[in-house]
Amino acid sequence: MARHKKIMVLACAFMVIGSVAYLQRAQGNPADKDPEKASAPIAVGRAVSPYGPLADARVRLPGQDDFTLTDQQGHFTLKGPRPWHTRPMVTAGKEGWFNNGAPLGRFGLVGDISLRPVFLADDPNYRFNSPKVCFNCHSKVTRIWDKSKMAHTTANPKLLDMYYGTDAEGNPGRGEGYRLDNPRSNGNCATCHAPSAAAASRWSLDLKEVLNSPRTEWEGVSCEYCHKVRKVVPDPSTPSGAAAILERQAPRRGRSILVFGPYDDVVVPPMAASYSPLYDSGRFCSTCHSHLKRLGPGKTWDRGKIYSDDEWAGFGFENNTILPIQTTYQEWKHWQESLPAEDPNKQKNCQQCHLSWQKRLLPYENFVVDGNARRMWGTYRSPQQIRPHHFEGGTKAQLQNALAMEIEGETQGNELLLKIYISNTNGGHWVPTGEPMRSVLLLVEAHDSEDKALKLIRGSRLPDWAGVGQLGKGDYAGLPGVVFARVLADEAGNLNVPFWRASKIALDTRIRPKKTVTLEFVFALTDPEDEPTGEAILIYRPAPRSMAKAKKWPLEDIPIISKAW
Amino acid sequence: MKRHANIVLVLAFSLLLATAGRARAGNIVGVVEPQGLRSAENILVYVVKVPTLSVDTSQARYLMDQKQLTFIPHILPVLVGARVDFPNNDEVAHNVFSLSRTKKFNLGSYKPGGSKTVVFDRPGMVDLRCDVHQEMNAYILVLKNPYFAVTDKEGRFTIPDLRSLEAQGLKGVPTLAPGKYLVKTWHEKLKTVKQKVEVPANGEASIVLNPKRGAPGVLYK
Repeated sequence: MARHKKIMVLACAFMVIGSVAYLQRAQGNPADKDPEKASAPIAVGRAVSPYGPLADARVRLPGQDDFTLTDQQGHFTLKGPRPWHTRPMVTAGKEGWFNNGAPLGRFGLVGDISLRPVFLADDPNYRFNSPKVCFNCHSKVTRIWDKSKMAHTTANPKLLDMYYGTDAEGNPGRGEGYRLDNPRSNGNCATCHAPSAAAASRWSLDLKEVLNSPRTEWEGVSCEYCHKVRKVVPDPSTPSGAAAILERQAPRRGRSILVFGPYDDVVVPPMAASYSPLYDSGRFCSTCHSHLKRLGPGKTWDRGKIYSDDEWAGFGFENNTILPIQTTYQEWKHWQESLPAEDPNKQKNCQQCHLSWQKRLLPYENFVVDGNARRMWGTYRSPQQIRPHHFEGGTKAQLQNALAMEIEGETQGNELLLKIYISNTNGGHWVPTGEPMRSVLLLVEAHDSEDKALKLIRGSRLPDWAGVGQLGKGDYAGLPGVVFARVLADEAGNLNVPFWRASKIALDTRIRPKKTVTLEFVFALTDPEDEPTGEAILIYRPAPRSMAKAKKWPLEDIPIISKAW
Repeated sequence: MKRHANIVLVLAFSLLLATAGRARAGNIVGVVEPQGLRSAENILVYVVKVPTLSVDTSQARYLMDQKQLTFIPHILPVLVGARVDFPNNDEVAHNVFSLSRTKKFNLGSYKPGGSKTVVFDRPGMVDLRCDVHQEMNAYILVLKNPYFAVTDKEGRFTIPDLRSLEAQGLKGVPTLAPGKYLVKTWHEKLKTVKQKVEVPANGEASIVLNPKRGAPGVLYK
């Protein structure tokens, strides 16, 4: 009996102690609620390198938002609430150095955190890891990437049709084709559409060579290609005017894979990770989201009719020998540089939108690794630190919110005036952007109270390249409206030519970031006392109608928004 | 048998009381049956013009929440002069802004737990966006009078929606005076429909609205 009593007392004591410990943990660290403790030093230490103390290294507790920089002697004092873990790690990272960490001591002391430099030893013969390797630990993010356009840039059917001059059924000699006009040149499409392959080859590559390769990492813009980029430098020899400097290095330490990225706190055995601020910058995207054509010796074009001096200077072009084909990066850069420091949009970059969370990806994740890797090496992070790699752009969901439209009407005697206001709400670049075959069409119509169409007497009409033919099949030429597009032209004045034939830009009416375009259309009223109505619709069109017909591409118009008055 | 009769009597009396509470004079009740839309929810039904009415809006506060990459509610009708709070109750930062001519503003990025306020001083439609999450979209409809309602999942509405008005701090809004009114609908994917309604001296007016999918019109011409 006495023994039973003893067991009961012990069990009760165990339960009480356990409950107190659980409650303390559930309530979080008491220091979180005490501002004095929250700003108290929790870790003091030094970051060093083989060459001495390391200044300006970023030091933090892994996964925390706050970090501190080391001073000239490499010393740091990390403040904040002390974590409840008994022995957490303190990490340090700096551009050009491998991240490293050291355990936080009992009294807040951290041993020297030793950072090794990333030696510059790019190996052109390096064999990139397949995304399947990344999938082993980063399964969710790899899955998201695999469904993105970035994973399939080489196999894009429209790209292949434009490259080989085929149509959607594979018939040769249909419409334009780079290889039709340049049978002896592979071109430089692979530079961006298959960058792993282009980086591995000393010569330019035919796209089918890439697709037929057993190297799975050659298709698309693979994980390791991007995360091997150490630097982006200006390079006039590339189509974009910028080049990625890679560090393709075989593991030097065990099986660690060298990767650059935005985290300075990744210190885990499988990765030899190096922090790079480039991954938080639009400059990273500039190697491909920019396409410039140099017109050749003595050739220029009259850009003054299309772009203001400010825009041209903002693009960073000095003279008229460059024909801007795609300038998404320059459009964003010019917009950002023109904003005052206090503007809420200042510092917005490509990654914030194109690698942001989406509803379809919820619930939020707190780890970038999954499965066993999470149990062994996972760092708990706020979803704010995690970037789903969907790279969404040009999709229906995104286009429908890229622009906004309002309509206003007024009758004046025998006329109905419709004012249309179109705003680029969410594009940090001009809309539409990228490949110049894209356009946004505005269609406007007005009816009297008996639903009879009213005649346009003032205002623009859609050009022939909006499609001549049947209205129901997407042919809108001649209807009241406007096209927003960059239109390339050749020497003979043909419009919507592919970039390799282009010698000038015929017009560029795209909508600048956060700007509103106002358009007016006047219709004739038969009865001044009537109550007419007006309607406007915005449509995104991936390719000009004539090109789409020649290539047998289906009509892929995306209605963006419609409004009535 | 007598006991059963008593129960029936009590039930009947309760039903009478409940019905009497619902069928207040001066209300417009009805249902919106949209064509081409999955749900009849979130359709604004409003009275375009009413005789001059003085409503104390000083205590009124409206809320446009942000959770799970969604603005809640999707449609928020408010009175001219309304102060709307935009708390961020999500796990990521948001940047609420509008380029609508009714009200242009940009609240900048703010983290979870933060909140900002905007005053809407002109009638009209305000198209809300988040600058970093493109799919986040909602509408604030700034109205001239408190005689409006947003439909429930079945498309039902009652004007005025006293419960919502009181929850927002608008107390003492009278029911509609007997007379003829013009009622309109607004939804971002539906053609606006309008219908004349006569509110009787006793009892309520009842209507059914059938908007079709199409371009929405402006709130006030």
